[in-house]
Amino acid sequence: MPETATRPEELVRISYDPPPGDWRGSPVEFRKGTFCHAAGAKSVRYLELPNPRDWQPTDQDWKLPPNWKEIILAGMKERLERFRSFRLFMDICVRCGACADKCHFYLGSADPKNMPVLRAELIRSVYRRYFTTAGKVFRSLAGARDLTEDVLKEWFYYFYQCTECRRCSVFCPFGIDTAEITMMVRELLNLVGVNTNWVLEPAANCYRTGNHLGIQPHGFKDSIDFAVDDLEDLTGVRVEAPINRKGAEILFVVPSADYFATPHYYTLLGYLALFHEIGLDYTFSAYASEGGNFGLFSSHEMMKRLNAKIYAEAKRLGVKWVLGGECGHMWRVIHQYMDTLNGPADFLEEPVSPVTGTRFENARSTKMVHICEFTADLIHAHKLKLDSRRNDHWTVTYHDSCNPARAMGLLEEPRYILRRVANRFHEMPENTIREQTFCCGSGAGLGSDENIEMRLRGGLPRANAVKYVRDKYGVNLLTCICAIDKATLPTALAYWAPGVEVGGVHELVGNALVMKGEKERTTDLRGQPLGQGAEAIHA
Amino acid sequence: MAGISPARKHAMAERWLALAVQTYPVPSRRFLVDQRDPFRNPAGQALRKRIPELVEELFGEMDAGKVGAALEDLMRLRAVQRFSAREAVGFLFGLKTILREESAADWETLARWEERVDELALAAFDLFMRFREQIYQIQADEARRRVAQLERMYSREG
Repeated sequence: MPETATRPEELVRISYDPPPGDWRGSPVEFRKGTFCHAAGAKSVRYLELPNPRDWQPTDQDWKLPPNWKEIILAGMKERLERFRSFRLFMDICVRCGACADKCHFYLGSADPKNMPVLRAELIRSVYRRYFTTAGKVFRSLAGARDLTEDVLKEWFYYFYQCTECRRCSVFCPFGIDTAEITMMVRELLNLVGVNTNWVLEPAANCYRTGNHLGIQPHGFKDSIDFAVDDLEDLTGVRVEAPINRKGAEILFVVPSADYFATPHYYTLLGYLALFHEIGLDYTFSAYASEGGNFGLFSSHEMMKRLNAKIYAEAKRLGVKWVLGGECGHMWRVIHQYMDTLNGPADFLEEPVSPVTGTRFENARSTKMVHICEFTADLIHAHKLKLDSRRNDHWTVTYHDSCNPARAMGLLEEPRYILRRVANRFHEMPENTIREQTFCCGSGAGLGSDENIEMRLRGGLPRANAVKYVRDKYGVNLLTCICAIDKATLPTALAYWAPGVEVGGVHELVGNALVMKGEKERTTDLRGQPLGQGAEAIHA
Repeated sequence: MAGISPARKHAMAERWLALAVQTYPVPSRRFLVDQRDPFRNPAGQALRKRIPELVEELFGEMDAGKVGAALEDLMRLRAVQRFSAREAVGFLFGLKTILREESAADWETLARWEERVDELALAAFDLFMRFREQIYQIQADEARRRVAQLERMYSREG
């Protein structure tokens, strides 16, 4: 090649290699779009948490208390003694790497510190330095490092890049629950006032009014009444939706997004139609007006405080048992923590379906049944008249929301329902569903606007599998049973797999449900015209 | 533009892939290239699938549809992956060096190919900007959905 040839590539030559040196030494760069804003002082104060102040992660000075290091180390010591699992998870990892490529954030970003093993190493290295003899003596030779402000910033950055989805834990031969490690680090960060607004503001609102947006009882009633009106317009059937009705058999708890956000709202319409049709004796509570529990994303104490309202309201209203709507982390709290946090709920009865007589033995302890278990049982007992052709405008797939799937094993019931209310259902590839499901990338308090770029990285593996079934089978609806999924997957799909909508399982139940006295249905619960197949039945 | 054997194209695509992968941190590079399951490694597999397609088009028809689809996948990915515009698009220019070193083409042919690389890079830059703008749009759409029913309710009352 001639010597005189121009070499334009030299003008844009970029060094591809990261800066040299130990990975543990490189400080975090807070780039816009990849982190959540700090919690406002107002929310921190309301929740009586330490160190309320105005600050942002991009500030040089995080305004930590002068003795922040002692606070963190004392907090670590206390938790190592209190939670056997935490000490075990600090000690037993052999760095086999089985988890390394299982995290959706790692797959979307290729950032090595998003390998669960390395993310955990961010705190393990500090654990070794201060709590193991080898680390105290041999320091970095033993994989230990000092706790510095840069390390604290790194914790904040990376432990708010974990959605506590627990996919990595499925593959860990030791059963290390990385979500619990994240929970511990977030608890420690909270001790020095390092927390995010997206978690603490909803938590503060929940503490005050019972739900994330801070909607008061009259606002809650307006919302539910509004849905009742909408449902009447769509179906011609006027339903009752009782609130705070003492003596009802069942208390029904939903995530608050069901009554103020789209597409959640169509699922709420589905519940209302279903309960009317089976004549369920139930009530909402204007205080237990939120199943979601952002306490799970900050500390065990906060989780307990926010969860307490469910049993308290069940007791006040005198119900027999509790039914819960489509929500994700709400079910992790209910299934794995509620009983010991705020139980035993010995004033409630073992749940029995009033329609089928089925005894929900699995909920004997918590007294709380998942709506999908309840509805699948109704369908199994032939108690519902369903016209699945009313969902023929949808080609459906199902996203296993992390918490119902991995934290409570709810894998079959939603599928059982979907196959009976929709005619076109296709699964995504096997290694992306059920226990191996990929997170939406926005759970555990990461679903904020300002964190969008990070969320899109995390959403890639899920959306990639959706794109596959969109292209192969023409899937145009991703169903799921988590309010955070419903809020954030439309965003991820608009970016990675355009043309696929997001909906709830009970939205499709509501579409298919043939109600006594209904008018001729010309639209689905979204108000969209029904497809050809559905029109045929009414012809 | 005949005369480039499939084996040569393959070799160029592999080198170009390696160059693209070098834009990621060292501990992740092997995984991005080696893990062939598209569901276990969506980012790496997007690179592995799309880069040979671009090489094929570069020596072929430069079909707008095919080039667009390949570049879209690559830029959609890189627009959210910590890269500046320069870093996101820059690896495309690396193909020029590969063309020179891997082909025995005359100067004029080489110049034509390099023009095509420039075209690819400009198109990629457009796409990078389009996806960055889309991120802001979907952010705004999500904010609206978040309180959509409350807004409907208040507008009906008001």
